[in-house]
Amino acid sequence: MNMDKQQNWMHELPVAAYTSKEWFDMEMKHIFSKTWQFAGLVEDVPNPGDFISVQAGLNNIFIVKGRDHRLRAFHNMCRHRGTQLLRAVGKGKKAITCPYHDWTYDLEGKLISLPKQEEEFPELKKPLHECGLNLHEASVDIFKGMLFVHPDKDAPSIMDFFGSVVPYLGPHIVEELVEFQEKEGEPFYAKEINANWKIIVENYIDHYHLAHLHEGTLNMYDHAKAEFGWEGSHYWFYEPLVPDYLADVKNAAPYPLIDSVPMEKIGAYVPWLFPNIGITEGESTWSTFHAIPLTPDRTLVVIRTKVMNLSEWEFTKQYTKSAMSKVWQHYGNRGKYEGDASDPMASGDFMAEDVYACEQQQKSLQSPMFSVGAQAQRGEFAVAQFQRVVKEWIEKGKAHE
Amino acid sequence: MSNFFPLKVIELENTTKDSVVVSFDVSQDLYETFDYKPGQYLTLRFNVKGEEVRRSYSLCSSPMLEEPLRIGVKRVKDGLVSNHINDQLKVGDTVNVMPPDGRFFVDIAKENYKTYYLFAAGSGITPILSILKSVLYTEEHSFVHMLFGNRNEESIMFKEELKKLQKAYPDRLLLKHTLSRPKSEWSDLWTSKKEKRHRKGRVDAACVKWFINEFPPYAQNAEYYICGPGTMIENTKKALQENDVPDNRIFTESFGTATTDDGSKGFDNARLVASLDGEIVKATIPEGKTLLRTLIEAGKEPPYSCEGGVCATCICKLKKGKVHMKNNLALDDKEVSQGYILSCQSVPLTPEVEIAYE
Ligand SMILES: Cc1cc2nc3c(=O)[nH]c(=O)nc-3n(C[C@H](O)[C@H](O)[C@H](O)COP(=O)(O)OP(=O)(O)OC[C@H]3O[C@@H](n4cnc5c(N)ncnc54)[C@H](O)[C@@H]3O)c2cc1C
Ligand code: FES
Ligand code: FES
Ligand SMILES: [Fe+2]
Repeated sequence: MNMDKQQNWMHELPVAAYTSKEWFDMEMKHIFSKTWQFAGLVEDVPNPGDFISVQAGLNNIFIVKGRDHRLRAFHNMCRHRGTQLLRAVGKGKKAITCPYHDWTYDLEGKLISLPKQEEEFPELKKPLHECGLNLHEASVDIFKGMLFVHPDKDAPSIMDFFGSVVPYLGPHIVEELVEFQEKEGEPFYAKEINANWKIIVENYIDHYHLAHLHEGTLNMYDHAKAEFGWEGSHYWFYEPLVPDYLADVKNAAPYPLIDSVPMEKIGAYVPWLFPNIGITEGESTWSTFHAIPLTPDRTLVVIRTKVMNLSEWEFTKQYTKSAMSKVWQHYGNRGKYEGDASDPMASGDFMAEDVYACEQQQKSLQSPMFSVGAQAQRGEFAVAQFQRVVKEWIEKGKAHE
Repeated sequence: MSNFFPLKVIELENTTKDSVVVSFDVSQDLYETFDYKPGQYLTLRFNVKGEEVRRSYSLCSSPMLEEPLRIGVKRVKDGLVSNHINDQLKVGDTVNVMPPDGRFFVDIAKENYKTYYLFAAGSGITPILSILKSVLYTEEHSFVHMLFGNRNEESIMFKEELKKLQKAYPDRLLLKHTLSRPKSEWSDLWTSKKEKRHRKGRVDAACVKWFINEFPPYAQNAEYYICGPGTMIENTKKALQENDVPDNRIFTESFGTATTDDGSKGFDNARLVASLDGEIVKATIPEGKTLLRTLIEAGKEPPYSCEGGVCATCICKLKKGKVHMKNNLALDDKEVSQGYILSCQSVPLTPEVEIAYE
């Protein structure tokens, strides 16, 4: 009995939570459809009439800006026969017309017209917007330069959810930064990874692996001095730069230093906001790390990165200074193994190392012999805590069914 | 019925030449009775020139701060009570005051994450100041974007207090002034670095539009509060509506207006039948008098406070006949169509009028 349990369990969750469709569906329903979900960056909806739509758990939600510059969110679903109304992104909308039968809504979600009203819908006698056919409202808010949506129009305030973790976030003023895009409109990084979304989260918040998997790639940060913990459902993490890097950081940093971070606070702030958005707030970059579950064993990771709003020339200068800095002769450039750069473990790229580890772990979940052998009490404390939080949300959701 | 409590004046301060801030002492046993929400007002009763008169004044103090109840009263030209307060009131005097009331208020909660747009003009600053202080002091995540219109730099009430708030909350308070008749080129003492001087002009459609375009909300749960004289409220509200602000996010407080007699004359010596406090009162309505004044002169105690068509305290239901409301800033179309009227504003249009206070 006891053995049985150990063999089919991670720290706090059954292995099935990482492999089965049943668990995946439960998470979609009780976690991803009941929490504030990352929807992008504030600059994604710059002007009145602009909109974006996002999948947030089971709900597709669009955000549109009014002429009052306030964002509104609605379920992206026509009230006639449910057709999705808006595509991914767009500009300058004054009204929203469904492609199927041309039912039209205003930017407050109110139904304003439909074809052949008198002939076909004689029962609709009141003004259309009083017929109970307006778009379902959702909630939208801004938190640290990021857009979040919630499927419930009376969602608890986003500060109820994130407020307690605010003191542990970096001092970065995100709104002053600009997105780093090699190709216009494309994120810094996007990749489908063959692992359950929780495997990826657990890797992100696993302090124990930093000095090992990333021994040659993330050693410019001082893992021994890391501080981390939980606030509400969220994880926070901070570690300083190693002294050699700190001493020469103005030259060695790969991009111009983010000036809203005072010297004494410089370091890596790497919180995980429940359920599926990490932020990596560093000395010269600020990134969102969005883990989007696709299937029980596939997850899309999208990373968007922001840097100082400076000219290309400033970036070139910094690049040159960084390349010449002695710091990188000792830190952050070496893969764990010797070999060809196409081998993730020899690539010298910490993302490739993480992806590799996650996919390798996921593979073993199929094995009848799989078990978590032991847990590092400090270094893996967060992994177990995350699983407890997941479990709580699922249990809470099921209790309310 | 209408419960007045004697409150002692403990301080009088002139913040401008033609206004005074009155502070009242509230004894321990009345703390609860005089508890209030930021935005609400007090109703004061005076006997001026042999007539009992009541006027409402918004509280400009904050219930979240340890400060006395405070109102700011601006002189109205030839105004009975506002001048009485400015000229006659002395520290140590006792004034009869009704407990705080009013539908224009903010429910302050520490965990709120909102952007408050506050539009004030002239003495309309009073309830806005209370809201402003309460939000900044209590809601540590919320933002305030405020536009304050005045005639010139000398007529700005609470100038110093606002300056202090700007200093204390630079990240959460954004305050812009607009002056319709500035006296001089203003120094940049109290606009922020970016915008050197105040804006010129009134709080009108163009100004409101400029303001909301220039200063978008950060927290997306935005609410809009408006208080000011004359057409300022209407203009601001309309400008907001034209810029997609939904009605359920707009809140307004009117102090009443110069009476607009639109010429419709009442029916002389009509008969009034009123059911009030379980009693049936019958009276004749003297020429030009309102239903409310008729009842008061008959020695009755109908409920009222502002006598300006603003607060709806005097609400009653019209059972028979027709009336004309000189001013209605309190009831919406639905309430009117259900037969509700403001007795302080109603004159009879038919020989017989029957009303009931509920
Ligand atoms: C809810 C509420 C809150 C209020 N808060 C404040 C406040 O905080 N500070 C403040 O100074 N006042 C406030 N007022 C207005 C105040 O109640 C009086 O109406 C005002 O002081 C004028 O009274 P009075 O007796 O001096 O003038 P009255 O003798 O009643 O009137 C004199 C003349 O002025 C006109 N008039 C009356 N009121 C106004 C007005 N508001 N604007 C333009 N013309 C007017 C009359 O039509 C008349 O012609 C508030 C009113 C209400 C209803
Ligand atoms: S489904 Fe949208 S109009 Fe018919
Ligand atoms: S007493 Fe205020 S509206 Fe009549
Ligand atoms: Fe890693």
